[in-house]
Amino acid sequence: MHIPPLIRVVSFCAAGLLLAACNQSTPKPAVAATSADPYDISKMVLKSDPAKVTSERHTGPFAEGASLSMGNELKPLDPSPVKVVRLDTTHKIIEIAPGVKFSAWTFGNQVPGPTIRARVGDKIKFSMTNRSDEVMPGVNMTAAPMMHSMDFHAAMVSPQDKYRSIAPGQTIEFEFTANYPGVFMFHCGTPMILEHIASGMYGALIVEPRGGYPTKADREYIVTQSEFYVKPDPQKRKVDDQPLYVLDGDNLKKALPSYTVFNGVHNGMVKHPLPAKPGERVRLFILNVGPSKTSSFHVVGTIFDRVWMDGNPDNQFRGMQTVLLGSSSSAIVEFMVPEAGQYIMVDHHFANASQGAIGLIDAGAVKPSETNDLEHHNMPATSTPTEPAAVQGKLDFESKCLACHSVGRGKKLGPDLLGVTKLRTDEWLTKWLKSPEKMLETDADAKALLKEFNNIPMPNQNLSDTEIQQYLKYFHWIDTQPPGTIHSAEGSH
Amino acid sequence: MRAALHALGLILLSYASAASACGHCVEDKVAAVYDYAVVTQAFKQKHQVAFFGIDGALVVNDNSRREIEAIARDIPGLDKGSMRVSLESAALSVAFDPARTSFAKLQSALERKLAPKKLSLLPMRVIDEPAKLKTVSK
Repeated sequence: MHIPPLIRVVSFCAAGLLLAACNQSTPKPAVAATSADPYDISKMVLKSDPAKVTSERHTGPFAEGASLSMGNELKPLDPSPVKVVRLDTTHKIIEIAPGVKFSAWTFGNQVPGPTIRARVGDKIKFSMTNRSDEVMPGVNMTAAPMMHSMDFHAAMVSPQDKYRSIAPGQTIEFEFTANYPGVFMFHCGTPMILEHIASGMYGALIVEPRGGYPTKADREYIVTQSEFYVKPDPQKRKVDDQPLYVLDGDNLKKALPSYTVFNGVHNGMVKHPLPAKPGERVRLFILNVGPSKTSSFHVVGTIFDRVWMDGNPDNQFRGMQTVLLGSSSSAIVEFMVPEAGQYIMVDHHFANASQGAIGLIDAGAVKPSETNDLEHHNMPATSTPTEPAAVQGKLDFESKCLACHSVGRGKKLGPDLLGVTKLRTDEWLTKWLKSPEKMLETDADAKALLKEFNNIPMPNQNLSDTEIQQYLKYFHWIDTQPPGTIHSAEGSH
Repeated sequence: MRAALHALGLILLSYASAASACGHCVEDKVAAVYDYAVVTQAFKQKHQVAFFGIDGALVVNDNSRREIEAIARDIPGLDKGSMRVSLESAALSVAFDPARTSFAKLQSALERKLAPKKLSLLPMRVIDEPAKLKTVSK
């Protein structure tokens, strides 16, 4: 049958109008209109058995579960639909910066706690014994045992039931189903919550979308940013001949941290960079646990191809330079490693970076230029000073400074320190080592250095006057050696 | 006398259930005044530790804290120096000798001293052995 084109158009339009009219007159319920909605509330599991509190104490390991990753590198998803997770609470001494032994409270006996990885629809069967009353091997200077609890941001449960505080020796067990994808914080929710989080009681629970992520990554790492507020123990106790540090309650309430760190350690991932290779896609799960500061997370030398806010691929941005995370906010960022080099992870709130929120992704050494290569071949073996103060300065330099500085091997994150005593006076160096952040406010040379080195500030290492003098002795010794004879023990990362 | 005790028991139960209606708050209040040293010392002496919520308009300052801590003086059976007060969480805890007083008598004695401040106590938990925080109604 032949239908003239005009009639065909009119009929099509009429059908369209009719359809539109039908849609207007009989609106469908939102749930029915989005039957494929992954957030369909009617399909979520919102009920679970009541939590069980007993006085049966866990023994053995403080953390258990196939879904747990204990370090920076994340294990692949455990395929089991039920994740059995055990994270006991402990009190222990941790080292948050060189020589800073801090009396911490933990989940799973580490700070941050182990990372849990699950998938939407998985059931988490969680148990926790409050083992804060157990004496940790070696050191018995931790805080008094106290009540603790667990608050999973990934769960949709009654806090009055599941997040109850339990006394030392008690065990709580509860379960919940992961309904939303994301990178969720967990933390102790016992008053004062501020103190419990600042003492180390936090971690991440990653929930993958039901169908997995839309991209394929070559490397996956967790990066948890947090603050520490510490002061020397008023009782002047020592751990391994080093002063014990305890929570500084006054500065905690004023949100004036002593350290802002990635994965629990000041400059930890500068000393132990995250490995990657040129051409690889790196996926970072970033979580800012605070408790009180915002993070402006950036990786120097690349652009985030994808940013999934709160770790949910439905909340996607493309081509971002930084990601802004409030306390208890997260994101998954993905980027390509363009070429060999060290890519610097940093909180671009540089006051936070200066307190230790810096890390490296090591994608191999940059091929040296012809000139540098020749210099390298001309270098003799490392020399050592003999004066005790200079020897101590060398030891300290090699343990604390080599991640960012070289001697005679060119620039790294910071300047090459060969010849530094000829460039700067002792007075200037002393002020710089004592309080780099103050110098950056007032001193033109310090400001120029900051600009020259990609706005990465020198972190305050809280050096004593004696330590500074030892550094200066070492630097002077270096500069009295014959040209070309001194270089630091290692090359670039 | 028996009837009076029965009535007191019912009152305690009703207070306990009122407090237990928000378990999260109860556990938090307990945590705020849970002092491990006090609890450990109490166990050594076969004493118990009582946890109460404070009901009423609390003034949060050092003076108010001192006044509430002072009510523990001269109460028979109460362990000297064992009272812990959290004004922020509106809670207090105290160790006592069950051979010399009961939870109910202790509460009455404390409340008599708090009455001029228009404050009363909500029974929350009692702990009489390690790792067992019992509801008061039990």
